Amino acid sequence: MKFVGIVGTNSDSSTNRKLLHYMREHFADKAEIEVCEIKSLPAFNEPKDKTPPPAVKALSDKIESADGIIIATPEYDHSITAALKSVIEWLSYTTRPLINKCVMIVGASHGMLGSSRAQAHLRQILDAPELKARIMPSSEFLLGKSLQAFDEKGNLVYLDKVKELEECFDEFLLFVKLTNQLLATEKFNTEQNKKFSWLKTAEEGALS
Amino acid sequence: MKLIGIVGTNAQESYNRMLLQFMQKHFKHKAEIEILELTDVPMFNESDDQSNSDIIQHFNNKIIEADGVIIATPEHNHSIPSALKSILEWLSFNLHPFDGKPVMIVGASYDVQGSSRAQLHLRQILDAPGVNATVMPGYEFLLGQAHHAFDEQGNIKSERTIDFLESCFWRFLRFTQVANLLNVPEEITYEPGQYCVTAPGHNGDLPMVVTLSMDRIESIDIDTEGESEGIADVVFKRIPSQILEGQTLNVDILSGASVTSNGVIDGVAKAIKMAGANPDVLRKRPKAPSAVDTSDAQYTTDVVVVGAGGAGLSAAASILQEGKKVIVVEKFPAIGGNTVRTGGPMNAANPQWQNTFDAIAGESHTLQEISAIDESTIDSEYLDDFKELKQQITNYLAENTGKTGYLFDSALLHRIQTYLGGKRTDQSGNIIYGQYDLVKILTDEALESVKWLEDVGVEFDKHDVTMPVGALWRRGHKPLKSEGYAYVSALQKYVEDHGGVIITDTAVKELIVEDGHVSGVIGTGLNGKKITVKANAVILASGGFGANTKMLKEYNTYWTEIDDDIKTSNSPAITGDGIILGQSVGADLVGMGFSQMMPVSDPDTGALFSGLQVPPQNFIMVNKQGKRFVNEYGSRDKLTQAAIDNGGLFYLIADEQIKKTAYNTSQEKIDKQIAAGTLFCANTLEELAEKLAMDPTVFKQTIADYNTYVDAGHDPEFGKDVFDLKVEIPPFYATPRKPAVHHTMGGLRIDTQTHVLDSKGQKISGLYAAGEVAGGIHAGNRLGGNSLTDIFTFGRIAGKTASHDINLRKDSNHGSNK
Repeated sequence: MKFVGIVGTNSDSSTNRKLLHYMREHFADKAEIEVCEIKSLPAFNEPKDKTPPPAVKALSDKIESADGIIIATPEYDHSITAALKSVIEWLSYTTRPLINKCVMIVGASHGMLGSSRAQAHLRQILDAPELKARIMPSSEFLLGKSLQAFDEKGNLVYLDKVKELEECFDEFLLFVKLTNQLLATEKFNTEQNKKFSWLKTAEEGALS
Repeated sequence: MKLIGIVGTNAQESYNRMLLQFMQKHFKHKAEIEILELTDVPMFNESDDQSNSDIIQHFNNKIIEADGVIIATPEHNHSIPSALKSILEWLSFNLHPFDGKPVMIVGASYDVQGSSRAQLHLRQILDAPGVNATVMPGYEFLLGQAHHAFDEQGNIKSERTIDFLESCFWRFLRFTQVANLLNVPEEITYEPGQYCVTAPGHNGDLPMVVTLSMDRIESIDIDTEGESEGIADVVFKRIPSQILEGQTLNVDILSGASVTSNGVIDGVAKAIKMAGANPDVLRKRPKAPSAVDTSDAQYTTDVVVVGAGGAGLSAAASILQEGKKVIVVEKFPAIGGNTVRTGGPMNAANPQWQNTFDAIAGESHTLQEISAIDESTIDSEYLDDFKELKQQITNYLAENTGKTGYLFDSALLHRIQTYLGGKRTDQSGNIIYGQYDLVKILTDEALESVKWLEDVGVEFDKHDVTMPVGALWRRGHKPLKSEGYAYVSALQKYVEDHGGVIITDTAVKELIVEDGHVSGVIGTGLNGKKITVKANAVILASGGFGANTKMLKEYNTYWTEIDDDIKTSNSPAITGDGIILGQSVGADLVGMGFSQMMPVSDPDTGALFSGLQVPPQNFIMVNKQGKRFVNEYGSRDKLTQAAIDNGGLFYLIADEQIKKTAYNTSQEKIDKQIAAGTLFCANTLEELAEKLAMDPTVFKQTIADYNTYVDAGHDPEFGKDVFDLKVEIPPFYATPRKPAVHHTMGGLRIDTQTHVLDSKGQKISGLYAAGEVAGGIHAGNRLGGNSLTDIFTFGRIAGKTASHDINLRKDSNHGSNK
């Protein structure tokens, strides 16, 4: 399996980045995880021609060819970061590579809550029709007290959390397998999805 | 009423913008709505703080001034746009203009939802503690199918929609009035008195006394005795001073010291509660004026000194003595650098004075040993001095045969001991020893430095001549008051009384160079303000790099390994800044690979005086496997290298009897440290071994063997030959120890007049260096008590030289003008 891990912040120091790096090493025998950064991506600005800037296109291509996506999100003001939101807007406005793509959400925070509210927002966001990601349901991985969570070598020191993450990841592997099987047997009009437009939906709604 | 409307998108075309423009027009008789656009707002990035940029400040100020804010949000992917999220992140990071601000949410979208889901997210976001807006409940205005909603003049077509918008808006006007009542500062009265609370220190709680009058916090006194942990000192000064200045608890915490910062604030809050008042009122007050002052500052002076430790303050004092003006720039809020932490006296040979003391056993033996050194092993520069010293020793010994005699000393003995003590070979076989011309100045001028310090106001204890740890000879001059503080406080007073200026909280980032001449510094001060000091000369006196692990590792050639998490006994300010500044203008470096470690330091803090510190005859050092690994009587270097070879961490073992020989502690402190897990205690050796994750059998065998060596007076394993107590009476103790960085010997290459030299040996015009920032003197290892001699001697010289050079330059400029 090949996964893309997205660091959900543009900050230079991030425990979510550490978490993804840890997952890459820890699950190396189960999957190949490529950790992608969003810090150099431009801010979303609704370009008229709906074409992504090269950096966004590059990320989009990686997502397109991956078997699944892992997003590690911090929590800023009870929600995801503007930087992560901007990337999602780029993807939803231009290439829409997340359609039918399996997504695992993880998150770390300095406090006790482990980005729980940001993760809930992220689920709702990825559920939007112009994104239509296949988010793994029912299991969430929240890493609280993340500043103390990693040792110098980047290992996760909370053993209960290691176990939880392992279970969560195994579940994701299964989820990816099953979802991709299901999607293969049923016909989904992905091209149609990629052209989804709120304006069009609104017009159709108004006409009917 | 004045309101701000924020267009929640940076898109060129936006129905949300149209909606706000309509409201602006439609409600112009009820309120003045100013519309703010997100177009120029940069993406929020916590690593690139742009809180002070024009655009963020504009938003901040407009929102602070407004009675309320209307946010019109589109819906992107079931949430608010990233552009809107970004400005909210900027305005909840270092600035918090939304705190308590009444906010109305509206939104428009293509479909029938009218941004309903984005509005819910926005409510949750505005409710986050960093934003803390007061959002109007109910009255949800959702404009669905927005592309059909407006006519060509931008007016909403549907009368029913306008009616509902009006009722929402009128409600918001009323809501704003009511909500802003919560923002009116509350009056506060205290029951006057002194309230005893505590502040968290490194070694447990510290007593703090808060004095309150009827309407003011009059003083905050924290008893920091026993605390010397640099950054904490800063907290204990900065936080109380800002609380007092602003009569507020709205104080920024210090990065790297959040627990202590919050502890002090919470302590004062507790005192306020005890005085019958609500501390939240003070948390809502504005910050102290000095805490929000961001105006850049420019200064002009004759000489600017970087660093307000012993070297920098001595330089400043001598500049003032030369009739020049000086500004000292210090990175930390507190001055004193490493000097204020020093516990030892300063070395200076003063035979006249020392001769009045009796010699003690062993001293003549030491002199004989020095005399007996093979001359062929003495490096040529030092050979003449060595021969002369031998003559001095021979004469002294002849004069004192058969009697105790007096304490001998001479500048030559000091010089040769500095040379011998500093001679080391590194891992790759390079030999280093002190540069002769600099060591000569150090030892010849040392006494002059003592006298100079006396003139400046330092009082020395003439009744005692002491030997600092690792000094090799009794020539220590000890101030009457506590050592480090005595020097720093006297020098500070002298500098300030004579018109010198000390600017704290300012880290120098760059040197100004004009026409190849170093002519000032640019630094970053409090709240990010830019501080520029123009001068005719710059003296670097910013200390070594003991607190910069990356630099230590990069340059180290002496130790086999330096741990990633090595601690230091130094001030955390000592990060090699001056060395980097010097390099930026081409300065040469010397002896950078050599650093000095304190082998028995606290593994977590680098502090020397925690746990059980006993005389070496009672030390039993065991490694993590529970085995002895070194002769406990070894030199600092030997103990350090042995510890490194054994993985760094080791333990000092004591029993009930040995505990009584500890000179640094009390039962109360011991109990606290055991409770905190920084000292281990058990009733049996097995139990202690288990606590230390050692094999109990191995550990028990080690102790049993050691006890037999004590009985025999002989240690066949490591050759320890002085013993006192065995380890036999429970409870047993283990103090974890690890080497910590104590002094860095390398630094900028200087000449005897402290000019900084480039790689060709040429003076860098206008640049001087003194103290630990400079290299070449202590070479491979510094004698205890010599760093004070170094800073006061070369600091003084730097001030003089810089002043004289300014005069020379003036003269030559006059000459050329003629």
